[in-house]
Amino acid sequence: MTYEELENRLLRFVKAPEEGMFEELALEVFRFQKKNNAAYANYAALFPEPLRVEGIPAVPLRAFKERGLPLKSFEGDPVACFRTSGTTGAVRGEHYFCSLRLYEAAAREGWARAGLPEKVDYCLMPSPQEATDSSLSRMAGWLADEGAFMIRGGRLEVEELENKLRREEKPVTIFGTALAFLHFFEELQARHVKLQLPQGSVAVETGGYKGSGRELEKEAFYAMFAEYLGLPPDAVANEYGMTELSSQFYTRGLGRVHKGAPWVRAFVIDPRTQQEVGDGGTGVLKIVDLANLGSVCALLTQDLAVRRGADFVLLGRDPAALPRGCSRAADEMLTEGRSI
Amino acid sequence: MKTARERISALATAARTVAHCLGEIEERHLVEWLEAELGHVDALDAFVPVGSHYSRAYAPENILHIVSGNTPHAALQSLLRGLLLGSRNFWKLPSEGLPEAEIFLKALSEELRMQVEVATELPEEWLSHAQAVVVYGSDETIAHFRKRVRGDQIFEAHGHRVSFGVVMEDPDYESVRLAARDVCLFDQMGCLSPHGIYVCESNGLSARRYAARLAEAMETVCAELPPPVRPPEAAAQILDLRAGYAFRSANDHRVQIWTSPGSDAWTVIYEEEPWFAVSCLHRVVFVKPLPERLADAVAPVSRWLGAIGIWPAEEKYLPVLEGLRPSRICPLGRMQEPPLTWHAEGRGLIENLVRWLDFEGQLV
Repeated sequence: MTYEELENRLLRFVKAPEEGMFEELALEVFRFQKKNNAAYANYAALFPEPLRVEGIPAVPLRAFKERGLPLKSFEGDPVACFRTSGTTGAVRGEHYFCSLRLYEAAAREGWARAGLPEKVDYCLMPSPQEATDSSLSRMAGWLADEGAFMIRGGRLEVEELENKLRREEKPVTIFGTALAFLHFFEELQARHVKLQLPQGSVAVETGGYKGSGRELEKEAFYAMFAEYLGLPPDAVANEYGMTELSSQFYTRGLGRVHKGAPWVRAFVIDPRTQQEVGDGGTGVLKIVDLANLGSVCALLTQDLAVRRGADFVLLGRDPAALPRGCSRAADEMLTEGRSI
Repeated sequence: MKTARERISALATAARTVAHCLGEIEERHLVEWLEAELGHVDALDAFVPVGSHYSRAYAPENILHIVSGNTPHAALQSLLRGLLLGSRNFWKLPSEGLPEAEIFLKALSEELRMQVEVATELPEEWLSHAQAVVVYGSDETIAHFRKRVRGDQIFEAHGHRVSFGVVMEDPDYESVRLAARDVCLFDQMGCLSPHGIYVCESNGLSARRYAARLAEAMETVCAELPPPVRPPEAAAQILDLRAGYAFRSANDHRVQIWTSPGSDAWTVIYEEEPWFAVSCLHRVVFVKPLPERLADAVAPVSRWLGAIGIWPAEEKYLPVLEGLRPSRICPLGRMQEPPLTWHAEGRGLIENLVRWLDFEGQLV
C-alpha cells in the first residue's frame, strides 16, 4: 500500500470513524512504517512482532532529536518540519511531514469533537507565517484567520488584545499557550484591568510553564481566567498535544479526564513492566496516533497519568514531584525542548 | 559533656550503630578530624598555640541542619559534626523521615541526645535561632534558604554535584565490582555517585568490554543491595532513557545497552562518544572511552564536579584529570565513603563553622 492509499484510508476514518477499525488500521500503519522507515524498523526489530495495538513498539520522544536518524516513513523532502521548543543550544526534536492532510483533518475534527467552537477568534501565539516550525501555530492557522494571532515579533500585543476583547459583544474563543495567558493576566493585573467576556466565550490553553521558572497550580491558573476574563473553569479547556503528535487530547474545567478522538489512543503503562495499568492506576502515557502516518504512530511520552477507562487524568511531568538527588539529575541539566 | 574529648568518646560509640552508612568511626578518627581542621584536639576547649600566639575555636551555639533524604550519610555526618563541636543542633529531616537518623539518635548518650532537636517540618524559630545554617538540597532549596539567612549567620550550602569514575589500568577488569558498588549505593542519588566511567583504552582495555563486565557486576551487586522502591517518576525516566538508547543502539553500533532482565534495577550504557552523559540516576551508568582531553568532554558539568573515582588510585594518573576541580579524587569503590576529613565543596567542614579568638598574651 502506498502512502497516499493509506493516507486516504485514514482520512476517511478520521472523518467517519468505524467502530472496531482502530486496531486493524494501527497495525497496518505500523507495518507501513516499519517497511518505509529504516531507523524505526531497526528499533522495532528489538521487539516481538505485535499482534495487537498495545504491542506496537513506541519510540521515546528523544528519538525525534536524533540527527542522522530521521523518523521519516516517506521518501523525498518533507513539506513541513515542526520543531520542539528549546533553549539556545538545546537539541530540538524534529517531526517531518510529507503531507499535512492528516494533521489538518485530525486537528479540525479533534477540535470539533471536543465541542469547541469552529472558529478561533484570538490566538495567543505567533502566526504560522511567523513561526513556520511550530506545529501549534500551524494547527491554530487552520482554526483562525491571520489577524487573530496576537504574538507578533515575539511580543504579545497586550493593549490591542485588551481593547479588542473589551469591545466584544458576542462569545469569543481564545486559543493560546498557558504561558501567554499567564503573561496576559499579569499585564492586566499590573494595569488593574479585569475583563468580562460575553457569556458562552471559551478559552483553550495548552502547554505548561516548562523552562519559564514558573510554578502555578492549575486551580490557581484557572482562577485567573475567572478573575481577568470572567470565564468559569468549565469555560476553559486544556489541549494536550505535542510536536511529535498529529492528534490532540482535550479536557474541560478542573479534575476531568482528557479524551482523544477515535483515531488516537492513549495507554497508561506501568514503566516497570510496560503493561497497561488497571483502571485508576498511575503510569506513563504511550500514545498511538494514526494521523502520524509520515513518522511513527506509537510514541512513549514522559508524562504521567492516571488511567480512567479509555481516557486519562494527566499528572504531567511535574519537576517538583521528581526525586531530587544530591546528585544532579539529567532532567535539571539537559534542557529538553517540548512542544509549545 | 563539656570537652571535645568527652564528646569524642560518646560519639564514637554511637557512630558504630550507623557504620553501614558512615563507615567505621573510632575515637582516633574524630581526634584526627579536629586536629586536621583546628590544628589541635583541644582547640574548642582551650587556647592552643598557633604561630606566635594562642587561639581558641568557638563553635556556633545552635546549628540548623537541613538535610535531604537521598544520602543519609550526609545527614549523619552533618549532625556528627555539630555534636562534636558541642553545639545545639536543629535537625530538619526530610518529610518522609530517615531510618538511619532514628538509629543514630537512639544510640546517642542522653546528654548528647539533649543537644538535638528533630523535626520533619521546619519550625520557623529554628532559622532565626541558628547561628549557622547548613543546607543539603537542590539549587532551589539552597536559593530559598540563602535568601532567608541573616548576614550574621554562617551559611553552608551543599548543592547538586556530579561524579564519575576513570579506569586507567585493569587488565582483569577487577574494578567493575567496585564501580558497581559505587553506582548502586544510595541508588546513585548521592553527590558522590558516579554517573559514568571513563575507560582508558590505550592500556589494552576495551571500554565496551568493561561495560559488559560492569553489567554482570551490577546484577551481582543488585542481588546484594536490592534497589529501593522507586516512585513512578523515576521508573518513567529510566524507561525513557532506556528506550532512547535502545533506539540509538539499534541504529548505531557505537552505542550498546545492557539492562537488568525483567526489571529496571540497573542499566549500563556503552557510548563511544566521550561527551559527558548525565544519568537519570537510579543505577543507570554510562561507560565511555577516555578521551585525550577529559576536561573538554566533561566541560558541561565541570562546575558541579563532586568526586572522581580513579583506578588504580596512583599519583602518576593525576595528569589525566588536569583542568578538573573536583573536591575529591579517590579509589574506585570508595566513592561513597569519604573520610571525615574530606573537604566537601573544597572546604573544611569543621573549620567552616567555627570562629577563632586569638590571645597574644602569656598563658599561665
